[in-house]
Amino acid sequence: MSARLPVYLDYAASTPLDARVARRMNAVLTDADAFGNASSAHAYGARARELVEAARAQVAAAVGCEPAEVIFCSCATEADNLAILGVAEYYRERGRHVVTSRTEHKAVLDACRELGRRGWQVSFVTPSSGGYVEPAAVVAALRADTVLATFMHVNNETGVVNDIAGIAAVCRERGVPLHVDAAQSVGKLPLDLAASGAALASLAGHKAYGPKGVGALVLRRSAGLQLAPQSYGGGQERGLRSGTLATHQIVGMGEAFALAARECEADRVRIAALAARLSERLLALGGVLRNGDAARAVPHILNLSFEGMEGESLLAAIVDRVALSTGSACTSAKAEPSYVLRALGRSASLAESSLRFSLGRFTTEAEVDTAAAAVAEAVLRLRAVSGYPWVAAGQAETVGAAGP
Amino acid sequence: MSAATHNVAYSALTRRYFEHPVNAGVLHGLGVGRGEAGAVAEGTWVRFDVQVLHGIVTAARFTAFGCPHVIAVASWITEAAAGRPGTPALPEPVPALRLRFELPVEKLGRLLTIEDAWCAAIRAAVTNLGAALD
Repeated sequence: MSARLPVYLDYAASTPLDARVARRMNAVLTDADAFGNASSAHAYGARARELVEAARAQVAAAVGCEPAEVIFCSCATEADNLAILGVAEYYRERGRHVVTSRTEHKAVLDACRELGRRGWQVSFVTPSSGGYVEPAAVVAALRADTVLATFMHVNNETGVVNDIAGIAAVCRERGVPLHVDAAQSVGKLPLDLAASGAALASLAGHKAYGPKGVGALVLRRSAGLQLAPQSYGGGQERGLRSGTLATHQIVGMGEAFALAARECEADRVRIAALAARLSERLLALGGVLRNGDAARAVPHILNLSFEGMEGESLLAAIVDRVALSTGSACTSAKAEPSYVLRALGRSASLAESSLRFSLGRFTTEAEVDTAAAAVAEAVLRLRAVSGYPWVAAGQAETVGAAGP
Repeated sequence: MSAATHNVAYSALTRRYFEHPVNAGVLHGLGVGRGEAGAVAEGTWVRFDVQVLHGIVTAARFTAFGCPHVIAVASWITEAAAGRPGTPALPEPVPALRLRFELPVEKLGRLLTIEDAWCAAIRAAVTNLGAALD
């Protein structure tokens, strides 16, 4: 970590490229025989194709599916859109209803809202206060004309893990395919799509120490689904995602996923210890609330709301020392509190004064200590200014001492 | 997240008073009045304790829940008001304060909240002093 940059605790937003992945990508970029178009029939194309197919096998092995089920694209957002719009459009004569939850990533929510604009109906399941979707709630939302259910595996804000197998089971009983946004899953916990019962899954390279600009949609053959393509051109990826394949990006994703599968458990154990250290120090401040059910969350993501301060001030007080994400979209106008935390029942004020700490493979104990100290200092300073703790539910009285 | 990255720029003056706020706290005693405005639930709440003696502001303290601009401006006011006449007006009008602290126009309402709290405190101080002398 550079001395002039803040501690990076925003791994859920993006992970650094693993040096081993970078070396593998560089080898492809500098391989004079590997620049060809993987769709070409000649030897250069064959070499590129060979690399792409090897990466496809790596990705498939990491997530528990067949290589032929992996459709490469540019990112998880594109995969989400292809899955949701693709299924909905293909089966438009069968029904025009999809089911999702209020705490999905924007890539899913906005794709569903686009369907709404096109005449589909969308049901939004409200998760439990712990942040996970109950299969029973999904059952209640499914209808005879439902053509797709889409739920994320690991929530990007809270780290809470949905019971995908349970949700898939109730969907399967009613003949509804399940799409899973698994962008945050790879490398965080074992992923076996074949066992999960999901029909489709979206994956991202850069959330697992791979490069940005590459992702994949897994379309399980056993689901027997068809998709309407969302882009047209050369017919790559079985006609579902036209566009020349980016060989070096795909190779990078394959290498990253192979490493993630191999090192998942070791990473998890080490990061869990670091997250516990961070959590313990911050919860000791008092007036700090954990968002999401810790017992059902991956250890990499710790989302906390801090009482007694406004969200923009909290972020401003630490931004030079810790790089992380907050529960509000800070603009110069009105901050918009996190819709995920609001769906979990947090007040707008507490949603805004929340911080998402996301740790990763390269996080060190010293970085955790630096971050904990910076946040603690900011919290105590801002509480001194706001007069927290407030005596009543309002803010009529304070216990603050006279200032300097 | 909708978890957003930090994208608000602050002036050097705002940063100074936000990072090192002066006069945070409360006041008690003769001629002290308290005024507040806004609400925590609304994202901005400010309270001033002001002491007015012989028609002059002799001391002021603030308590604030709000963005860095709110904390910085409230702190600056308590410093700038000392020695000024104890009349219900900010040491500097809202438009001038906005320019001084380089507040985006969208935050103008927060300055009005500060003004309401300050003027209420001054009025309370004058009233309290009158009652004490009676």
